[in-house]
Amino acid sequence: METKIILCGLGGQGVVFLTRLLANTAMADGHPVMVSETHGMSQRGGSVISHLRIMENPQTTGQNVPVLSAAPLIHHGTADLLFALEADEAVRSLPYLRPGGAAFVDSENGLRPELAGEISRLGFHVHCVSASQLAVELGSVSMANVILSGFAAAHPEMPLSFESLCETLKNTSTRGLERNLQALETGYKVGSLRSIPNLEM
Amino acid sequence: MSREILLGNEAIGLALVEEGCRVVTGYPGTPSSEILAGVNKYQKQFARPVYTEWSTNEKVALEVALAATWVGLRAAVTMKQVGLNVAADPLFSAAYTGVRGGFLVIAADDPGPHSSQTEQDSRLMALTAKVPVFDPATPAEAREMVGHALALSEKYGQPVMLRPTTRVCHGLQSMALDGHPAELAAPKARFKKDPPRWVSTPRFRYFLHQELNQKLLEIEKEFDASPLNFIVHEGASQKVGVIASGAAFHTTLQALDHLGVQLPVLKIGTPYPLPRTLVTNFISGLEAVIVIEEPDICIELQITAGTTTLHGRRDGTVPSAGELTPEIVFTFLKSVLEQTGIPTSPSPADGLLEELVQSLPLPIRRPRLCPGCGHRSAFFSMKRTFGPQAIYPGDIGCYTLGANLRAVDTLVDMGASVSMAHGFYHANRIVGDKRPVIATIGDSTFLHSGIVPLINAVHTGARFVLVVLDNHTTAMTGFQPTAANEFLMDGSAAAHQVSLPEIVRACGVRFVVETDPYEQQSFSEKLQEAHAFSQGDGGGVAVVIANRPCVLYDATPIREHPVPVVITEECDGCRYCVEAFECPALVLAPDRSRVNINYKICVDCGQCIDACFKGFIIPGI
Repeated sequence: METKIILCGLGGQGVVFLTRLLANTAMADGHPVMVSETHGMSQRGGSVISHLRIMENPQTTGQNVPVLSAAPLIHHGTADLLFALEADEAVRSLPYLRPGGAAFVDSENGLRPELAGEISRLGFHVHCVSASQLAVELGSVSMANVILSGFAAAHPEMPLSFESLCETLKNTSTRGLERNLQALETGYKVGSLRSIPNLEM
Repeated sequence: MSREILLGNEAIGLALVEEGCRVVTGYPGTPSSEILAGVNKYQKQFARPVYTEWSTNEKVALEVALAATWVGLRAAVTMKQVGLNVAADPLFSAAYTGVRGGFLVIAADDPGPHSSQTEQDSRLMALTAKVPVFDPATPAEAREMVGHALALSEKYGQPVMLRPTTRVCHGLQSMALDGHPAELAAPKARFKKDPPRWVSTPRFRYFLHQELNQKLLEIEKEFDASPLNFIVHEGASQKVGVIASGAAFHTTLQALDHLGVQLPVLKIGTPYPLPRTLVTNFISGLEAVIVIEEPDICIELQITAGTTTLHGRRDGTVPSAGELTPEIVFTFLKSVLEQTGIPTSPSPADGLLEELVQSLPLPIRRPRLCPGCGHRSAFFSMKRTFGPQAIYPGDIGCYTLGANLRAVDTLVDMGASVSMAHGFYHANRIVGDKRPVIATIGDSTFLHSGIVPLINAVHTGARFVLVVLDNHTTAMTGFQPTAANEFLMDGSAAAHQVSLPEIVRACGVRFVVETDPYEQQSFSEKLQEAHAFSQGDGGGVAVVIANRPCVLYDATPIREHPVPVVITEECDGCRYCVEAFECPALVLAPDRSRVNINYKICVDCGQCIDACFKGFIIPGI
């Protein structure tokens, strides 16, 4: 199965970095990937959204990449996962999620309460974490994106493992590797505590 | 064989190196800016030297690359679609003279538009100029097409266009890198004099035009057989078919999958000249055909549909503006299929959720100048000095966002701030409007298109203030160096750094001051002096150069002189700073009782101290 992922946030929050982290990890795992990114003026604080497709590993399926998977944008109602670095941007992108899909959101207070009914009707799994707060505690808000990816890696819906994300950071970081690994681990630890139902508060 | 994820633009840059281009030039513009950086990356990686440059503008860039092709080298030039307007003059001429080495003109279109002043279709520009076009649908296909296009260019001695769109340029795709391409032999090329071609007078141009038309007929036949034009779902026995190109081709296939319908789809990779025989054969036998392309009609325009009904933008089936998103393509395809009696699946989108989200008061995220941006300080001072009544012609760059501070009133194209200010001066004189005219232009834009109108304004006696916002780089598109920088795009030293004040003086301007907009008081005084000069006896254009590096490009000055601020308890939430200064780090409290500083994004520039006239923003820790 192809995995379709929407990643969103505000310009400057590192949506592009997060997208490339996931894309590179998937590729290292043998999956062809296709991404559409936002560049230009929106990067100056506007809404930023990436569309990421992780396809079947052709060596496992024995088939070539289906031509279908090359569409740059994902249709509303078909994304398996949503990553949001800001709560209102998560809401704006929520229509991309398919019924039963999962959202990983950097938010202290969850999503807007008006959405509770729809979230339950469509069976969305919304996982919130105060990633930017944790990032500030680690020394820089700019690491919220990596924390969110670590957080997601602790959940069963996430197709990429914590270990592969670590590998990607090690192979692609030109600077700040230690801090990024620390951020990934922080997110993963918080996620591991939460994803065990018994420990959920 | 290794696999890497490449940005569409990097993939194009890689292909230019792989295909042996020796000269690649350009002027940055979203979504094309990363192509030249890609060339630089791979020329180093493969040790295949390519001369690259960020030229002063697109016309210059095209002519520099054209000369290389006349010598016999392979060359390319990159730009965005509106840059092609600037380069149109040499493009149209070069289509007649032709080329010797392969010549690829890369013009990136921006359906949406996301980052442009128009949604124009460069394929139509190519059609008018009589330049064949390749229209890639994915980063991998863009890479593949570069070789086809250069080979065609050399075979027919014609310039050829590659026209990617935003989704191709800024798409990322994993692709194979098949090791290093072979080392290039030293070129034996030499410029050969050929007056009837290279200095062709109108009489010869007539013959060149005939020759060009003949070549286009041959190229059309070649395109009829090209593997870049192909049919998917050929066996699908339906009454309706689709002709699609570019990224919209894949969006179409995705929509058909969601609709649960198989239609024959003709994918066109070479929209001009249209492979007429192929298209005619595809259409014959179909009751209706839908043409899906971006951003305008190039294929649809060239089709003779005969008895088949032709759906597209002209009959309103496809919206006539904006990007073709999956939801839009799904909706119009469904509508056409239902009219034809073909059953379809419902949309995967959830209408109720979409409606609810639409109805929520989500914040509007307009782009804003970054915290610490020197442009903000300059605009704020301009507004305080000249008030809301003054006329503020603006220009293209990050600083167009000065409109948020209401210090930019007009936006036309690169360099227009200067010529519009000039025009306002003369028109205002005629109608008796005495409001001051204060224009703004960035350093890169000034060098691109601001000098010529400045000469014009000085020569004809216009009186206005021109603020050159010098942030030491081309910030909006990713920090490409300008001719005023000390280094070239590959990091090597520039042979000469032009001096903005010297250029301005050489244009005949007699009032030129250079000052730091962070010194708001003194900056404002300089603006007043400039205005007084422009209006005084024997006055003219007065130029204030606002010198402050972009905070993203060079944070050193702020790091060395941080001015952390706090907002005192007395803050009454009057919102003046939030609206007039508009720094993203100044945030109104949810209960609107006061303004807080978002220290997560504040850069300690201290510039907002002057933005609270009540004195509630103060230096602090």
